[in-house]
Amino acid sequence: MARHLNTIPGRLVMMLLLIHALLMPPLFYAISGTVESTMKDIFIDKLRNVAQIFVDRFDTLEPEASEQRIVELLDSAILSGQGRYAAVDIGGRTVTSSLMTAEDAALFREDFAFGENGDDVYYLSLPVSGLAAPAVLKLGYDESPIHEDLDGIRRTLIYVLSAYLLLTLLVAGLVSITVISPLRWLQSASRAISSGDVDRELRPDSRLAEIVALSDDLERMRRNLVGINERLRNEIAEREQAEADRHRLEEQAHHNQRLRSLGTLAGGVAHEFNNVLQPMVLYLDLALEDLPPDSPIAKNLARVQELAGRAKGLSQQILTFSRQDSNPRFVTRSIAPVAEEAITMIRALLPATLDLRVDISSECSPVRCVPEQIQQVLVNLCNNAYQALADDSGHVWVSLREVPVSEQLAGGHPNLETGPHVVLEVRDTGKGMDADTLERIFEPFFTTQEVGKGTGLGLSVVHGIVKRHDGEIVVESEPGKGTRFRIFLPPAGHDERS
Amino acid sequence: MAKILIVDDEEDVRIALQQVLERAGYEVSVAATGNEGLDLLNKERADLVITDVIMPGIDGITTARKIREKYRGTRIIVISGGGKAAPEPYEPDAISTRSYLASASSAGADRTLTKPFDRDELLRVVRSLLGES
Repeated sequence: MARHLNTIPGRLVMMLLLIHALLMPPLFYAISGTVESTMKDIFIDKLRNVAQIFVDRFDTLEPEASEQRIVELLDSAILSGQGRYAAVDIGGRTVTSSLMTAEDAALFREDFAFGENGDDVYYLSLPVSGLAAPAVLKLGYDESPIHEDLDGIRRTLIYVLSAYLLLTLLVAGLVSITVISPLRWLQSASRAISSGDVDRELRPDSRLAEIVALSDDLERMRRNLVGINERLRNEIAEREQAEADRHRLEEQAHHNQRLRSLGTLAGGVAHEFNNVLQPMVLYLDLALEDLPPDSPIAKNLARVQELAGRAKGLSQQILTFSRQDSNPRFVTRSIAPVAEEAITMIRALLPATLDLRVDISSECSPVRCVPEQIQQVLVNLCNNAYQALADDSGHVWVSLREVPVSEQLAGGHPNLETGPHVVLEVRDTGKGMDADTLERIFEPFFTTQEVGKGTGLGLSVVHGIVKRHDGEIVVESEPGKGTRFRIFLPPAGHDERS
Repeated sequence: MAKILIVDDEEDVRIALQQVLERAGYEVSVAATGNEGLDLLNKERADLVITDVIMPGIDGITTARKIREKYRGTRIIVISGGGKAAPEPYEPDAISTRSYLASASSAGADRTLTKPFDRDELLRVVRSLLGES
């Protein structure tokens, strides 16, 4: 109940009820009182007039009027209209009308009182002259019709007032609903906003000035919120982007730093190494000179010489790796002759049993490159490809072509742009690599070769070279099927990217 | 008989180079530092000097320059271990071998050789510098 009372219609109705509870009774009584007194006055006036008529009639009687005459007069008084009592006191003697009932006769009072004494009769006493002795005419008239009328009036009044009250309450209820429904709407709108749903525009149905003003303000607030949200979202996105960029740059800087330190260390080691190898190589030459070629010692020393040669190769690879930061000399030329030269070298370096297939297109755009480095890349990749072949079966395929890079391909590689690229490809049908290995192949010193074979530096050097040529290297491999390296180089004249 | 001076701080390098060159018929003297080498040259001229780059005291490039200034006719071979060679501790900013080698040429060296070179390579270069077939 209390819950209902605390609503607008509830309060309104309660207030109206209270007000009317206080006002209605006084109103009712005031009205009915007024009506009652007016009717009473009219009644009494009428009665007095009637009484006066009879008084006049009595006054005009002859003094010796017979008693019968008096009774006739009294009877006519009763008959004239709702008379209940008619009597005249003449000098101590009461003459009563013959039409009165015995009980009526007994009831006379000098009351002049309307509505009192519970008898519904209005008595008046008037002095009369013209009779033998001073007389008093006493008349009594029925009040009950008046009372009935009054009751009727009161009843009507009550009905009217009740109807008025009900109508008022109804109207109040309706009015309050007019106020409530937009309020409810506003409430649901602001709840929507507070729960984050700011995208619906606010437009109330009401035309009430206060509601419209309030909803205008709410709408303005919503728009502000939307704006703020948008700004916040943008700012957050920007911050996240900046954070990601910063992170990426930091990682890159760390990576470069690591490579550089590694390079410095490697360079230092290589230098010392070479200083150690130098006399070794010469001593071996000298010793072999002193021995007959087919002596077992000579054979062993010859193997040592080979090993020294390998050590020299290793040392050179390390040196190359350590030199990555020095300034290489770029030229702009077609890669085709560079590749052809490299292939010649490779055929010399690798066993003749290797099935090396070559497809070098001479129609590629020139590329800004360091030719020796491109050759180094080719040599390295072909060497790896050869190593991957089992038992010298299978083949290695090298190709150079100009190829347009599709959106799809570029999408998978963040550093690859769409458009024409010169593509160097080395493919083998060897043992391939699993996904874990693929992830790590460009790491310095990562190698799948057994200890003593391979240094793990080749691909990291290759990667460095490709990056410095503004290119991208893409590897695909499937264990048991083979591996495919593709190096995408931008044609010369392509926009420099920082 | 052509005279060759070897300047290198590594004893084994000196011994090995000396043996190889003497077997090939040259007269060989050795020095462990640039200054020692210059002193020896003062006493007795050499036809060819082979000097290392990184040494205690004056480095090979400076040595080569001094030799060139003083002894016009002497051929100079500068040999180097390669890499970002620098005296310990290794400094990241130390110049690379290539620029060493470039400055070697500008300092007057006739040829540069990168260690480790074998005997045949060495003798080839020596013979060509001394005008022999």
